[in-house]
Amino acid sequence: MALVMISSLYQGGREDLARELAAKTGWPTLSREELLESAKEEGIKVGRLEMSLIKRPSSSEKLAREKKLYLAFITVNLCRKALEGNLIYSGRAGHLMLPGCHKLRVGLSAPLDIRTKRTAKALNMEMEQAENYLAQLDEDIDRWIRQTHHASGQDPTKFDIFINLENMSVHNAAETLHAISQLPEYQGTLSSTRVLEDLYLSAQAELKLIMDERTTGADLRVKADTGFISVTYPPHQEHFKQLIPEVLSGLEGCREIHCTMAATNILWVQELFDPKSENFHHIMQLAQRWGAAVELMRLVSPSEPLDERGAVDMEYDFGRWDCPEIDDGGVEDDDPLVVINDGGLSTTIEELIDKGRCGGGVSICGGYDKILERVQGDGDYALVVVGDMFLSKGKSTRTRRTRELTMNIRDRLKAPVITADELESKFMFGKRQAVNLVGYSVAVVLLYYLVFTHQDQVSAFLSGPLHEKAKWLAPLVIFMFIPVIAYLYGAVTGLALKLINID
Amino acid sequence: MHALITYIDINLATALQVVLLGFIGGILSGFIGSGGAFFMTPGMMNLGVDGVIAVASNITHKFGKAMVGSRKHAAAGNVDKKLAAFMLITAIVGIQIAVAINSYLFKGGGGGHGAGGGAGANLYISLVFATILSTVAISMLRDVLRSGNGDDDSGPSMKIAEFFSRLNLPPVINFPVADTKVSLWVLMVGGISTGYLAGTIGVGGFIGVPAMIYVFGVPTAVATGTELFLALFMGAYGAISYAYQGFVDIRLTMLLYLGSLIGIHLGVYGVKVVNEKYIRLVTSVIILLCVFSRIIAMPVYLRQLGFISFPAEYDRFFNFGSKFFLFASGISGALVILARVVHAYRQRRKIQKTLLIQRQTNIDITGLEETA
Repeated sequence: MALVMISSLYQGGREDLARELAAKTGWPTLSREELLESAKEEGIKVGRLEMSLIKRPSSSEKLAREKKLYLAFITVNLCRKALEGNLIYSGRAGHLMLPGCHKLRVGLSAPLDIRTKRTAKALNMEMEQAENYLAQLDEDIDRWIRQTHHASGQDPTKFDIFINLENMSVHNAAETLHAISQLPEYQGTLSSTRVLEDLYLSAQAELKLIMDERTTGADLRVKADTGFISVTYPPHQEHFKQLIPEVLSGLEGCREIHCTMAATNILWVQELFDPKSENFHHIMQLAQRWGAAVELMRLVSPSEPLDERGAVDMEYDFGRWDCPEIDDGGVEDDDPLVVINDGGLSTTIEELIDKGRCGGGVSICGGYDKILERVQGDGDYALVVVGDMFLSKGKSTRTRRTRELTMNIRDRLKAPVITADELESKFMFGKRQAVNLVGYSVAVVLLYYLVFTHQDQVSAFLSGPLHEKAKWLAPLVIFMFIPVIAYLYGAVTGLALKLINID
Repeated sequence: MHALITYIDINLATALQVVLLGFIGGILSGFIGSGGAFFMTPGMMNLGVDGVIAVASNITHKFGKAMVGSRKHAAAGNVDKKLAAFMLITAIVGIQIAVAINSYLFKGGGGGHGAGGGAGANLYISLVFATILSTVAISMLRDVLRSGNGDDDSGPSMKIAEFFSRLNLPPVINFPVADTKVSLWVLMVGGISTGYLAGTIGVGGFIGVPAMIYVFGVPTAVATGTELFLALFMGAYGAISYAYQGFVDIRLTMLLYLGSLIGIHLGVYGVKVVNEKYIRLVTSVIILLCVFSRIIAMPVYLRQLGFISFPAEYDRFFNFGSKFFLFASGISGALVILARVVHAYRQRRKIQKTLLIQRQTNIDITGLEETA
């Protein structure tokens, strides 16, 4: 099963290449234009959404809902086609669609003069007009992609192959793609098909919830994992809790629905999960305090035996890391006797469900780029916690690599990212925080006491005779003193509110 | 010049009122996302603090607060430092203009005509305050009412954004983090206006954030983070400039911190549990009441400047009216937000309790089954 996702700018040759490849392979094609037609038939105002996102990138609730609806719709249609077998998709940002699935991501570039001629012909324009039109359109398309997929459409790291049609014919490009798509790296596996099924199920559920008039105004977050659907809703929309299961009832492939009230989301990335662990305890404490749902992401260690090469350390090898077939990221109920190693994911999810803090869970294989691929579109994480990773390594290597992983994610994801070790010092209230609270409080009281028992001297220094003598001294003292008092008192209030579980 | 600058006497009652101003300002600030100066500056003026001292002490307060807040935004990747640098350079020009005007009016205004040494500056600050904030509040209210009618999301601001994007005056600067390109000329106008308003009434964010979103095309989260980062430097520059002139009353700044740094946490918590439309409605009503409160205080400054005449003993009625509306708006707004916070907090506790009981029941049932 091959998925070829071809992306190019307007009149960049993607349709020609898709047609040529389809003619050669007999695989079905699907284009962005076909998807948009279907979306319009369903009443989705794609044109208005495009204009709003390109010209006015503010984040109103209505716009966010329309964007969700559009993305859910195209994901459902893409997944449905992809699950039928091979597929060739051509669009603007096909390479960014279906995160985590096996796919051949193809970028396509065509000479500007050809694109201009084609545009002029298609839109009945003068050449100069067409050139200006294309320049503006390319800019708008890149902005649209950034707004919808949170990534640049031209980022070379998001492609497997980038073809320039300046010297290569469409025929030869199709030949090349056909050959590449036959490689084992681009063939579906059990785990990648499961990712596709999960995406299909969650997009279906999301679409159903947005389209149903009972839940259309809800700000929901939907995740699916092997038939289990987790839906989170904000505290001020508690009335949707009863309606969600009703709306989703009868959804094919759905085994269970869990609804969680969550003001925000915490993503916990780890290799092995254990509901009895200290990390779990700390994260639960934080989730309860913030009213957050906890989403689990199990990152399969690169050093686990992944293929016929056995226990080779693949961290420095190029190529795709795939989940071993035994590690299927969930529990199959066909054969209850088979014990599946999912790294404690399902038991931890069960515990989270019990505590009403479940935000879903997923297994992925690879490095930080895979984590980013899965979460970049989601956004909205109040915190990302990188837990115990690289367990097969020694302590110092583990610490170093975890730190590197954390830094890489932090650089690319717009959310605070910390390691589990930092969790206690930054968010929990323990002995150390109690000592800090007392120490900072004493310092604050002392400073306030000194200022308010010497008001006349302070006033004279800031605006009286003393100030007249040395005008530069007051700004200097203000510049140094104010940050100190703001920091000290800010720490006191932060710790005090943490103590009573409001932060 | 120092003879003209008189800091107010701070006794326990005054101190508590300033702390309360800081607390309410902090709640509103955390809830609305602005600096809260629109409430704290006139509030201090109602307590008898000269307008320029109120602005200076508040801008100093903003400097420390922005330092703490911008660190959090920077960690979340919401700060475009290049944009902040461009805005800062132009904003400093705006602040300098504001400080010069305020100092000039403070020295000259009202001295020869009435009791208030800073009546000229007070009137000027009040006029700018009323004009800018009523425009912001009315457009915000109109947005809320439109969305309530089920109309399209686009409003007049869309036209502004489209106009500037078509304008495309060279040189155009690219900002990668904010993912936008802006003409240097448009940036200069935006920066100077932000700096001028921050220096004049201490509410630069009310112009800076919408300007970044609607005129420059910056995403909302990046606009807020960049504005806070900018506020850190603008606040520092404003604080130093005003301190050099002798206008910063550090006691007021410290008292504001006592209330605001608690209030801001509660306001931010409120945002998590209240929907966007409600936030905008509460915000616009509070701002309009603050504007009304400032308008009531204006006749006193006009009398002090000799533009109108009425017995001086009437001043207290105007001051009382102004104070009443300001505190009524702030306190009722803060109470509405606090009520939501407490409701959400109790709801959360209740749900957690229910879950624990449910879990206990499940364990009991499992235990019974095992026994059976």
